[in-house]
Amino acid sequence: MKHLDVAGGTGDVAFRVVERIKSVSHRATQGTLTDMEEDTHIYVCDINPNMLEVGKKRAAEKGYNEEQCLSWVQGDAEALSFEDGSMDGYTIAFGIRNVTHIEKALSEAYRVLKKGGRFLCLELSHVDVPVFKDIYDIYSFSVIPAVGELVAGDRQSYQYLVESIRRFPKQEKFAQMIQEAGFEAVEYENLVGGVVAIHSGVKL
Amino acid sequence: ELSRRYFASRLSLTAPIGWANSVSTQPRHFVEHVVVRRTGPSAMASFLVARRLLCPASARRLLPCTSPPPSAPAALCWLSTDASPSPPLPVPPLEPTVDPPKKDGASFSAGSGAGGAYRTGQGAASGGRRSGGAGYEEEQQKVLRASLLHVPRMGWSESAMIAGARDVAMSPAIVGAFPRKEAALVEFFMDDCLQQLMDRIDAGEGELLKNLMLTERLSRLVRMRLEMQTPYISKWPQALSIQSQPANVSTSLKQRAVLVDEIWHAAGDAGSDIDWYVKRTVLGGIYSASEVYMLTDNSPEFHDTWTFVNRRIKDALDLQKSYKEVAYLTETLGAGIGGSIQGVLNKVFQK
Repeated sequence: MKHLDVAGGTGDVAFRVVERIKSVSHRATQGTLTDMEEDTHIYVCDINPNMLEVGKKRAAEKGYNEEQCLSWVQGDAEALSFEDGSMDGYTIAFGIRNVTHIEKALSEAYRVLKKGGRFLCLELSHVDVPVFKDIYDIYSFSVIPAVGELVAGDRQSYQYLVESIRRFPKQEKFAQMIQEAGFEAVEYENLVGGVVAIHSGVKL
Repeated sequence: ELSRRYFASRLSLTAPIGWANSVSTQPRHFVEHVVVRRTGPSAMASFLVARRLLCPASARRLLPCTSPPPSAPAALCWLSTDASPSPPLPVPPLEPTVDPPKKDGASFSAGSGAGGAYRTGQGAASGGRRSGGAGYEEEQQKVLRASLLHVPRMGWSESAMIAGARDVAMSPAIVGAFPRKEAALVEFFMDDCLQQLMDRIDAGEGELLKNLMLTERLSRLVRMRLEMQTPYISKWPQALSIQSQPANVSTSLKQRAVLVDEIWHAAGDAGSDIDWYVKRTVLGGIYSASEVYMLTDNSPEFHDTWTFVNRRIKDALDLQKSYKEVAYLTETLGAGIGGSIQGVLNKVFQK
């Protein structure tokens, strides 16, 4: 099975997937799934080669360099270099917010997924819970840029971060966009009251 | 970091409930994604049941999903002494003009009661599921039906569902999108058997039943339904344990209630003093007992199970019919005993 992790240059999601495949419990499954001898392959795609380098370094530290199942590919989420219908799974974690044209990224995701393939997106999203929303707003606009200036000396980036979160479509709107790209069974799950949301869809 | 870890765990199949881990046989392949965890399992179950009852498989006959679980009202009925008229039996084929594709889109809103094609969870913790129409439902059913072929070998597990997805030329990743995975397979099977039973009754076996006594009709129907499980009998204990998990128990109870209702309806319960709820409870108990009995029955063609079913149904109905007699008897006895105690007390106080 083939899995594509977009905007995952540093390899966070990819490593966890590899750990799951290689785990002992997974090996135990192989007994019943005798016709699934083919290896799983994970492609990590990122527009920024520096992130990919960081990812490769981390892979070496974890000892994944001998792994045949990881591939590091440079590419743009809006114009992927993979064939149509070649991936079983597509994930994008904290990346789609930074894509200029979200619809393009979604339609590319739709293109490369096989029939039955699953799209999963993890992203910072909007909070609607009454009191928590205000706390979150205060925290975002007052605390985060200040801490960013103190620790990293870079207030601008963190200001951009907070503003880009607010600019991103709301959960429902984004779910609608995913559905318009062609996915079925679109659903989302809020974590921490909406600070982070996981959207998922299936290609049919 | 925490959310990344959670996100990656969504890709693999760590079971959301530890119970499921101990029950399901196989660990999962990484591409099988953990299903969305929603708030309110009961809301989910009712939503699923409503969807199922309105889905094409059972669209021909709309069974009342408002029929209450037999257990609770039965207790109340035993306590009440008045012979209130039983609720009217469900009228069979309601609108056969139900249009399956349209209904699928509408069924979500009908089932959830929320406006639109999706539902908002309580506490804004989860979001809606949108259907693209009948397409996803059909594909899901195709995959589940193909998975059933692998169940005798692999059990009610994701391995069977992955194999089924491969058979239908779908990526196994779709299995991750099924709600409560193995439970989805088991529930599909239960619905499918119910639909087959209804089809067989409609097709003409219902006519054959007319000549038999009530007890024989019930035995025949229960037997018909249990026979559908014989190909999977080696893995049926696993299916039962999946159905009894807390997340799945409400749906499985509803399915059984619908099944028992259907059997009584096909048997035609005319001319009986028994209350509506009591009938369903009693038959539900007999059905479950027979199902469990069948698990350890090694007789040729489950001959012993059918004997068991016959005997239980006879006992149950005889008991119910003699309830009135017992009531009269106790009244008489009460009168007699009360009289003699009164006599004793009179004698005591006369002294």
